[in-house]
Amino acid sequence: MGLAANAPVPAASMDAAAHHIRIEDLTFDYGGARPAVDRLSFGIRKGEFLGLLGPSGCGKSTTLRMIAGLMAPTSGRILIGGQDIVARPPWERNLGLVFQSYALFPHMTVAQNVAFGLKQRRVPRAEIRDRVAEALRVVRLDQMADRVPSALSGGQQQRVAIARAIVVEPEILLLDEPLSNLDARLRDEMRFEIRDIQTRTGITTLFVTHDQHEALTMCDRIAVMNVGELEQIGTPTEIYDQPASRFVANFIGRANELACSVDDTGALVCNGRRLPGRTTGVSPQPGSTVVAAIRPHAITLGEAAAGHLAGTVQRRVFVGNIIEVALALPDGQTVTVELRPGGAGDALAVPGAEVGLTWRPETMRVFAA
Amino acid sequence: MLTRLLMILGRAYVFALFIIIFTPMAIIIAISFSADSYLSFPPSGWSLEWYGKVLGNARFMNGLQNSAIIAVIVAGLSLLFGLPAAYALVRLEFPGREFLRNVILAPLILPTIVLGLGILMIFAPAKLVASYHGLVLAHLVITLPFTVRILQTTLSNLGRDAEYAAMTLGATPLRTFVQVTLPQLVPGIVASTAIAAILSFDEIVISLFIVGPRLSTLPVEIFRYVDERTDPLVAVLAVLLISISLIIVLIVERSVGFAKAFSR
Repeated sequence: MGLAANAPVPAASMDAAAHHIRIEDLTFDYGGARPAVDRLSFGIRKGEFLGLLGPSGCGKSTTLRMIAGLMAPTSGRILIGGQDIVARPPWERNLGLVFQSYALFPHMTVAQNVAFGLKQRRVPRAEIRDRVAEALRVVRLDQMADRVPSALSGGQQQRVAIARAIVVEPEILLLDEPLSNLDARLRDEMRFEIRDIQTRTGITTLFVTHDQHEALTMCDRIAVMNVGELEQIGTPTEIYDQPASRFVANFIGRANELACSVDDTGALVCNGRRLPGRTTGVSPQPGSTVVAAIRPHAITLGEAAAGHLAGTVQRRVFVGNIIEVALALPDGQTVTVELRPGGAGDALAVPGAEVGLTWRPETMRVFAA
Repeated sequence: MLTRLLMILGRAYVFALFIIIFTPMAIIIAISFSADSYLSFPPSGWSLEWYGKVLGNARFMNGLQNSAIIAVIVAGLSLLFGLPAAYALVRLEFPGREFLRNVILAPLILPTIVLGLGILMIFAPAKLVASYHGLVLAHLVITLPFTVRILQTTLSNLGRDAEYAAMTLGATPLRTFVQVTLPQLVPGIVASTAIAAILSFDEIVISLFIVGPRLSTLPVEIFRYVDERTDPLVAVLAVLLISISLIIVLIVERSVGFAKAFSR
């Protein structure tokens, strides 16, 4: 795991007051080799759409289930509006949870499904009718109120699940991989639809996903998790442009990792060449070895003599909107570059050719090796 | 070409199987309308005489009444005891759960005659022989494993997501069970209750051990009758038993769908 040197995770106390939901040192340890969730801390602002992103098994679903009250944390606190809710059972937490499987009640109509939470709260019948109708309007299912779930498409069922969760005006809306069961086209549609519904209702939302694309396109901020720990939290732009660790750099988007040594002046040296300074990330300590990460699209190809590094083109693959070029550096490290067809460097990228690699220094991010 | 041939062969095979299964039944149904005084096929004449004799036979009618009453009670109690057991075995975690799961199925493996003998040894000193509650208790030993097993399968196929959703929406565990779990269990409940009723109604081995002169069941009476003679009356009784099982199956089919009740 890398260092998070100058993209710090916000300290627990820093803007605690601004947070609607606060997770503090949340741990879930079932006695395995390491805790499934390990001293996790982050906050969600009121009305914010926060993504919890990570590979499968990173503890994100466990975290969501602890917030919902379906799993009891080993230790730590979950604060909603400053109140610790860990001791409360799920039915006293006022949450809305949307499952990957939708989890609709198959023996009830769409309207009855949506009314369920309001009935539990003993809301007067007339008010239930109005609020259910309103919630179904929000998810554009007002025509389907009397259908049973099995008569609906996957996307419609998902919208019923969302209506059922938001109609009770929950403190927080929890979305557990809500798009995973939908086909690709519907997924794109529902991404914007869910975000739109959330923006209109203003409900504070935690969105659990393993899909970086979903997280980047939908969320106000993203919390990246790996093996039970928080790697980084920030806006999609921050996460993508200033990854706090090698894990984040590789998990969100693609990154070339170059092994470099650091000379006496603090400059990075790779394949005998001094790389340009003003990189971001950790400050290179003279005499140490570091890893420099750079996105494939940040590199341009030119004459071999003019580049920061020189390499030999090994492979050129046309992928429609881009051309993927694999290069070998003299020391054997490989670098992938993405070019626009017909753009700069395209003509040079011929297998076997010697080319120069150039990039803006600030797009290179340095991590401890 | 080959697939066509295989398809024809497959159909022929299924057809042959049906013939083998249903021919004896068809013969029995035909004999039940016989005018002869002995079992023979084909009968030399047709009549409803033997149906009349069954309906006029006090022992059979008494046995039918007892069997029906016992079957209904056994089916109800199977559900009453079986549902909580199945729920506990599927949804609750406690030490020895796996062991209990297996123990509860033990009567399925034990030869019924061994069970019958064991039950007699216990029931005789407890004065449960030849009593309604004795027969009901004994039949429950046979029906409960089936009930628990079917409900266990239904329950674990349901998954927990709907229950979790209900709880996060504010429903207490009891309300979740009543409003969300129970309605989804209906097919399993109907199926397991029907099975329990049929098993109890058809049960003979254990019943033989514990019926008495004043309390007997229909299968026991049939067994005793066949022991003494063989005339078309037996065929009528067979038709009667088949019809009753069939009626129960049809009720299941009409209410929840037979395939659904057993496959879920």
